[in-house]
Amino acid sequence: MGVLAWLESLPLSVWVHESPSVWAQPTVLTLHTMGMGVLVGACWVLDLRLLGISRNIPLSAFRWVFSTVAVSLSVNVVTGALLFAQRATSLGLAIPFLIKMLLVVASVATLVPLRSLVLRSDPGECEVSGSARVLAIASIVAWSGAITAGRLLAYLVP
Amino acid sequence: MPSITDVNIAHLHLLLNHVPTVGSVVALGLLLLAFVRRDEPLKRAGLEVLFVIAVLTLPVYISGVGAQQKLADRPELSDTAIRVHQDAALAGFTVAEFAGFVAWIALWQSRRRGRAAGLVPAAALLTVVALLLMTRAANLGGEIRHPEIGTVAAVAGAPPVDTAQFVTSKISAIMVNSPWAWPASETVHFLGLSLSFGVLLAVNLRILGVMRHVPFANVHRLLPWGMLGFGTNLITGMLFFVGQPKQYIDSAPFYWKVVFLMIAGANFLYLTVFTKAWTGDREGGWDASAADKAMAVLSLFSWLAVLYGGRMLPFIGHAF
Repeated sequence: MGVLAWLESLPLSVWVHESPSVWAQPTVLTLHTMGMGVLVGACWVLDLRLLGISRNIPLSAFRWVFSTVAVSLSVNVVTGALLFAQRATSLGLAIPFLIKMLLVVASVATLVPLRSLVLRSDPGECEVSGSARVLAIASIVAWSGAITAGRLLAYLVP
Repeated sequence: MPSITDVNIAHLHLLLNHVPTVGSVVALGLLLLAFVRRDEPLKRAGLEVLFVIAVLTLPVYISGVGAQQKLADRPELSDTAIRVHQDAALAGFTVAEFAGFVAWIALWQSRRRGRAAGLVPAAALLTVVALLLMTRAANLGGEIRHPEIGTVAAVAGAPPVDTAQFVTSKISAIMVNSPWAWPASETVHFLGLSLSFGVLLAVNLRILGVMRHVPFANVHRLLPWGMLGFGTNLITGMLFFVGQPKQYIDSAPFYWKVVFLMIAGANFLYLTVFTKAWTGDREGGWDASAADKAMAVLSLFSWLAVLYGGRMLPFIGHAF
């Protein structure tokens, strides 16, 4: 039995997929969407700041973005894993799903340099370098792509 | 005798449907008075009323569609008369939302610069147009029950007209038949919700004490981006609702979603215009009161509840 089929046959996966309970698939899916809104929203606020919106806020004030990201990203890794496991055989090799994963990884990758940028900035520092702006644009584009790919999964891999 | 709690969606429509027309007249009166008296606070009050009307016009439209579904099988009502009224209402709704949007921008500018600038005449003009369209919709709505005063030839029993000519039917046909319209709107709806969430998270966290050293004016600068996300979602959300009204009108989570949207809308207005934070900043770093912090928690909760109602729509039972 392949890994994907094994994942799909786990009792938890079967429960998420089959149970008529509102706590199964509906709640997992809703938590995944809430996590998405908080995660991407927090990243976008920082990106907008780096691109010059509300430029009077010092970068060091944005430390909250990364604790917010830590919480919401954890929620979405767990709920995402459940949503994947319940349909592992149909999603595992589907191109739209792999594109979504690639875009999520790319989006999260932009957070690493953004995090050190914010954590290392001096209190009161408002200057933004050109490379930070490029990172901000990359973050906006990659998250938009990830959301688009994720939403379209429902239609492309029914 | 029927109980006061024994109301249905059609009653609600009959109650709420006066808000857009009467409210617009009140708002225009306030703006006119403010113009004559050169009274800045009165002008802001007029703009605030316009925003509130825009928020309340949403349940007017939605309850109207609910009433239509509820009364669809009454032989004494003309389906054509209802559809003519609905098209007129959608036109009025659209312009009323634009008026509320422009009024909101004027309020946001006025909070930052001390006075509402050139957008006030634009908001007033849009309100006049909305009022005319709403009055027409209201008249056509009255004729559903009183065809004897009507100008519409559509009386009950008349041969049915081709329903495909109505704007709402055309939108519905595109949303249902096009392979990409619904998925594309869903995608845009998710992008918009993330943008709104991010901005409201930042603003409300500031009120809760995060970024304490940042003046409130600086996070207030972000609000138009939240409004952009919300506007995007109002448009895409209305495309879903007009596209497949039956999917929403019987659904309990949908009504909760609209109720929490009203709360979130009132909160958004408060975040835009309240003065405490600005005077607090001038006196050296505003620290929100317990009441304002409770409001920030309510705001974040309302937005999560709006999302919950939307995402749970296909799963939670039909309660009406």
